[in-house]
Amino acid sequence: MLWLVLFFLVPMWTLLKIAVSTKPNPFLPEYELTWRWSNFSDAVSRFQPELIRSFGYAATATVACILIGYPLAYYLAFKAGKWRTLLLGLIMVPFFTSFLIRTIAWQTILGSDGPALWMIRTLHLSGVADAAGFTTNGAFLNTPQAVIGGLTYNFVPFMILPIYVSLEKIDVRLMDAARDLYSKPSAAFRKVVLPLSLPGVFAGTLLTFIPAAGDYINAELLGNVRTGMIGSQVAKLFLRESNYPAAAALSFIFMAIITVGVLLYARLLGTEELSA
Amino acid sequence: MTERPMDPELAAAIQMARQMSRRRFMVRGGLGIGGAMLAPSFLAACGDSGGSSGGSGSDGAAAGKGAKKLTISNWDAYIDEDDDGNVDGSGTTIAEFQKASGVDVTYRKDYNDNDEYFNKIFSPVLGKGKRISPDITCPTYWMAARIIGLGWTEELDLDLIPNHANLDDSYLDLPWDPGAKHHMPWQAGVTGIAWNPKLTGGDLSSINDLYDPKLKGKVTFFTELRDTLGLTMFGQGTDPAKANVDDINAALDKVEEARNSGQILKFTGNEYLRSLENGDVAASIAWSGDIAQLDPELGIKFIIPEEGGMQWFDTMTVPKGALNTVAAAKWMDYVYDPENAARITEWVQYISPVKGVREVMEKAGGDSAKLSENTLIFPDDETLKRLKVFGELDQKDEVAIQTRFNDITG
Repeated sequence: MLWLVLFFLVPMWTLLKIAVSTKPNPFLPEYELTWRWSNFSDAVSRFQPELIRSFGYAATATVACILIGYPLAYYLAFKAGKWRTLLLGLIMVPFFTSFLIRTIAWQTILGSDGPALWMIRTLHLSGVADAAGFTTNGAFLNTPQAVIGGLTYNFVPFMILPIYVSLEKIDVRLMDAARDLYSKPSAAFRKVVLPLSLPGVFAGTLLTFIPAAGDYINAELLGNVRTGMIGSQVAKLFLRESNYPAAAALSFIFMAIITVGVLLYARLLGTEELSA
Repeated sequence: MTERPMDPELAAAIQMARQMSRRRFMVRGGLGIGGAMLAPSFLAACGDSGGSSGGSGSDGAAAGKGAKKLTISNWDAYIDEDDDGNVDGSGTTIAEFQKASGVDVTYRKDYNDNDEYFNKIFSPVLGKGKRISPDITCPTYWMAARIIGLGWTEELDLDLIPNHANLDDSYLDLPWDPGAKHHMPWQAGVTGIAWNPKLTGGDLSSINDLYDPKLKGKVTFFTELRDTLGLTMFGQGTDPAKANVDDINAALDKVEEARNSGQILKFTGNEYLRSLENGDVAASIAWSGDIAQLDPELGIKFIIPEEGGMQWFDTMTVPKGALNTVAAAKWMDYVYDPENAARITEWVQYISPVKGVREVMEKAGGDSAKLSENTLIFPDDETLKRLKVFGELDQKDEVAIQTRFNDITG
């Protein structure tokens, strides 16, 4: 309880107070609490494109993480056998390097001299890659696709691990039972495995979507001037404009949208142990 | 020398990448700089309250007369280093100064961005009348003007700096610091345009070439307002030195349109250099000294556009309440000796504000003499005529323009 007060309520209250303050002199570190609620509407109208973009990119990256992460987790849980520990280790290995260094490495991989474009050029697939939406005018780096790709890459382990845990908990005899009852493998998956693994998907989605929406490193390093996300705007308000009230208001709005979104999602997916 | 805002870790990583590429070239260029990587200086906590108590009045903390220790906070790659990339290795300016003066120097490369340093350190600490730990910081001229105007600097004791007489006369009648009593320039430079001829398929001559649809999506500009807008104003035929608000807004309109149409890929700080080297960007606004230090094999060219170029300089200022003002004066005196200034100039390849550097380098012969003929390091009258410094903005205009610019730059 004390923990909650100290590390949640007090900071929240401070943030709210700053969000409704004004800064009389832009060069001096002084704030006046003026209860200026229009800071919130100002922030929404000024940063609407970035708000929409943040959630759009994060949602796309989350879906991509599920598509990549679920089969991988399934393989790990049921098919990997003696390789399981090694493979799990390999998923964790990238964490030994800083998040930042890994993202900067993607600049080299996706750059115009990098291996990704080299491969496409060698295979004469430039036109195809453009048409399929992987590249824009023959470039990987500094495109929205690169930002979403970076988000997917950076957060996919947070999708794999919870799904793996929930799959691993499933009693394999349930699958045997389904087969005994003349269920096809696909139906057994749909009716037995998938519902039982949904809590993992739910947890993975939260662990991926929330940090991805607030991330700014990927947009900053892999994107261009029209791919800015909320994180970069908050950083800009703090460091370039020293406009703490606007930054606080924007952060508040962002948190509110995420909270409402998560509650709705919990309702929809209806996994009782998490939404209860 | 200004950069986009970043968290310290990110800045350090990019700094590291940049230093590696610079060092790589130096090896090839035979300048004898070794391949070792610099230990990145992760100096997140630059502002400390230094034990000054209470006094949040405008008087601020009292300055100390310390003469034994000195902390300098400067930009990256802005002073000579030894073969292993140490700024205080044997034979470097810092090592020689320590030997000559007995002062113990702590040199930090954590001055990364004017706005960021102001909003993280100057304003929250000096603005509350507290002391920051560096005895010398290196803000760019317009930021120096701002903090001097706010009364956040110590007046220099010119009796302790006889070499102040070597300061180039053009710096003596600045409206914000007549006689240069609150700052001494560190290095000056020119903002122009750079391009990779392999990607542009020809040479550039005008700032408006960066707005040519042929280069759509392959051009970067700076997050530094005065560089990006100043050059654009030259292209529009208006005068950046006058800093007329309507003219500036017209330049902002042009930049905004180019941003929305996809002409401008990104607004950057120092990272532009890597993008140019890698070929991710075909052309950009650029700082003179940076391009001078690139590998000539890359073939990247730099010019002052035909319409004109922006001139700027970074300063040495002593923040209010600094503990070691005497040591700071000794340092300023030392680097204003032409022999010592020449050593720095040869390494950083920017314009020195110290009189007599050119003569020293001419006399030294060899590569130094060759550098002394470079008009980007020693601009002749012809070149100087084409350069302008962005005019002064009053506070209200500056905030409005900066806010609009920030929205455009992402």
